[in-house]
Amino acid sequence: MNKIAKLFVTFISAITLALVSFTSSFAKVEGEYIVLGSAISLTGKYSSNGVHTQNGYNMAVDRINKMGGVEVQGKKYKFEIIYYDDESNPKRAAQLAERLIKQDGVHYMLGPYSSGLTKAIAPVTEKYKIPMVEANGASRSLFTKGYKYLFAVLSPANQYLEVAIDLAVEKNGGKGVKIAQAFEQDAFSQDVRLGILDAAKRTGSEIIIDDKLPKELNDMAATLAKVKAVKPDVLVVSGHTKGALTAIRQISEMKVDVPMLAMTHCDAAKLSKQHGKKSEFALCASQWHKNLSYKDKFFGSGKKYAKDFQKEFGYDPPYQSAESSAALLVFKDAFERANSFDRDAVRDALVDTEMQTFYGNIKFGPGGQNVAKPMILFQVRCKGDDCENRVVAPTKWASDKFYHPIPKWSERS
Amino acid sequence: MEKLKQKDLILYSGLIILGLAAPYLFSAFKVQLTYLCVLIVLAMTWNLQGGEMGYNTFGNILFYGLGMYLTASVQVGMFFPLAEWTESGGEKTFVHTTAQYFQGIGVGLLVAAIIPTIIAGAIGYAILGLRGHYFAICTLGLGIAAGEIAGGIEIIGAGQGFTTPPFPAEIVDAEARGKFFYFLSFALLVGTFVFVKYIYGSRFRLILNAIRDNEDKAEAMGIQTMKYKIVGWMCSAFFCGLAGGIMGGLIGYIDSTDVAFDGREMGVFMVLMAILGGKGTLWGPVIGATLFHFFKEGLWTLILGWQYVALGVLIVVIVVYFPEGLMGWLREKYPERFGEVIDEKDRKAQVELK
Repeated sequence: MNKIAKLFVTFISAITLALVSFTSSFAKVEGEYIVLGSAISLTGKYSSNGVHTQNGYNMAVDRINKMGGVEVQGKKYKFEIIYYDDESNPKRAAQLAERLIKQDGVHYMLGPYSSGLTKAIAPVTEKYKIPMVEANGASRSLFTKGYKYLFAVLSPANQYLEVAIDLAVEKNGGKGVKIAQAFEQDAFSQDVRLGILDAAKRTGSEIIIDDKLPKELNDMAATLAKVKAVKPDVLVVSGHTKGALTAIRQISEMKVDVPMLAMTHCDAAKLSKQHGKKSEFALCASQWHKNLSYKDKFFGSGKKYAKDFQKEFGYDPPYQSAESSAALLVFKDAFERANSFDRDAVRDALVDTEMQTFYGNIKFGPGGQNVAKPMILFQVRCKGDDCENRVVAPTKWASDKFYHPIPKWSERS
Repeated sequence: MEKLKQKDLILYSGLIILGLAAPYLFSAFKVQLTYLCVLIVLAMTWNLQGGEMGYNTFGNILFYGLGMYLTASVQVGMFFPLAEWTESGGEKTFVHTTAQYFQGIGVGLLVAAIIPTIIAGAIGYAILGLRGHYFAICTLGLGIAAGEIAGGIEIIGAGQGFTTPPFPAEIVDAEARGKFFYFLSFALLVGTFVFVKYIYGSRFRLILNAIRDNEDKAEAMGIQTMKYKIVGWMCSAFFCGLAGGIMGGLIGYIDSTDVAFDGREMGVFMVLMAILGGKGTLWGPVIGATLFHFFKEGLWTLILGWQYVALGVLIVVIVVYFPEGLMGWLREKYPERFGEVIDEKDRKAQVELK
């Protein structure tokens, strides 16, 4: 046993040495760089949206750095981001946030992808008083916890599809509608559900199917079979990218006829490209659309952003990328107004943010959510085999009329 | 024997001093060290089944997850209505005072130790009659089912997840939280180690080994194998529940399938760590967990996006080259050091025979 003991002691001392030599070499501001930290889902169930987020961040960092960077106390600084992969796992995300702050010395954080992961990271950033601008955590419960260092550039999740219910009621002559809904078991989708419940109560609508979908979502045939049987006026589905893809795939396979189909994450799932005509008439909630008329001096208009993004990454930017880019613009603006790298000064500057970006107006409410920007709805419309997302609400930006009801499958070519 | 004990004493006191000093020496690594303690506990308790008893369980994650939910629920439920706390989007915020927080987590951990132990007894009674692959598959189902069920229970947050009470704001020291959870997990580690070491010196271990080596024969010898199997599993559940409770508080956010009943990660890791170090040994799981944690923390960020591929390669390498784990490998190479007597003549004779 004593030999093993010796071995073990050697082993422990080796580790000790390794740890001691592993001191943090980064700092909040290094030379001409302002270092931001972010845990992003590069693997796991959120990996596609994680990459959209990362692309959005990177695009904005490049653009801001190219256009002169951030000016603080007369000196120009550039942004740099340290990324870690949180594997779409809240436990890992919280651990990595700690690592970014304690070991890498990051003083300013960018959010991860998804509400669940943001919920896991927020207590950590809050504990160390690290300002975090996040672009992909929409769950309402994030903004009721009294977090002081959390700022979200997006609208809360419960607003995603409320408008859709209003639209349905309007089409029904102001009378309540019958709603069938299916939501993934995660923080974001459950919040979208709460929004629908509120809207249903407000409009006197009735919820006739209220299903839960598993996290590894690839089958919702049971829900759709029920929908076929009870014929609701509206079918609402939310389950991130996989939810949108699964819904369209199975609705078209099972030929489920429903007058209105409302979803989230259609553009992140590239529905109109992946499923083409099958996805036609789907109504989707979105934080942003390239046709909106907002402008800023870094990206110009939404259309210009979309074009540049397409050139750099080879696909149309979903709103997840746009809002992520906007997060960097918010940080830049806050640094310049604070004119300091003091965390609390930056935090105070963030509180006072009031700006327009290509993505929309940004102004933070008391809970940290963006209160200056409405949600929009678009509908997938096709010309021949060429399908596109067309904005249908709110009317200010609507390029097309809302098409209602969806024709039956037997009548669709 | 006495001499060895003295050496052991030096080793153990050295390790305890190192453990106590660690959060001060490596202040920035406190969270990782806490993880390490918990990982070692999970590997050691898995080893009781997988290594000593020969029952490869994937079900220990069930007790870990239960412990996590129980601690958090008790901690909240003792002072505030739990349903309102977890109600998604609830506008109310409750704040624990310092005393409430610590009382809550204390009672919570107690519950997190007891209830999983009882559940292990009940489930064990039902399924420990299964052997080999059948047992493994059955326990695999336990963890998955628990995750799906927990994801549907509104009072613990369902799919929304459960935010555990934040560390009391009255304690201004930002390091206090890290230290608190580190020492908690370190105490658990020491407790588990002492317990497992005690088992290693007892008749109980011999019985577990007998079950592993030939259960029918053990039964024929008059051992009530079922009883011992259940008690063994209950011991593991006790420590797994505590480990889960501590992790829940540390992570601050419980998700049904990704954090609590995380069979895909923690559930697999505990098996992997025990096998890496060498199952059926006292130090094997400790060394395995430590190596694994360093591998994971050190390398994973260097190979962003490829870490699971690297993990797969690691598993293949372990299974192919170290089927008995590091300790088993060492034992084969240096049997004298493990106190095994080698008859040189016999060895030579065997070599010549070949």
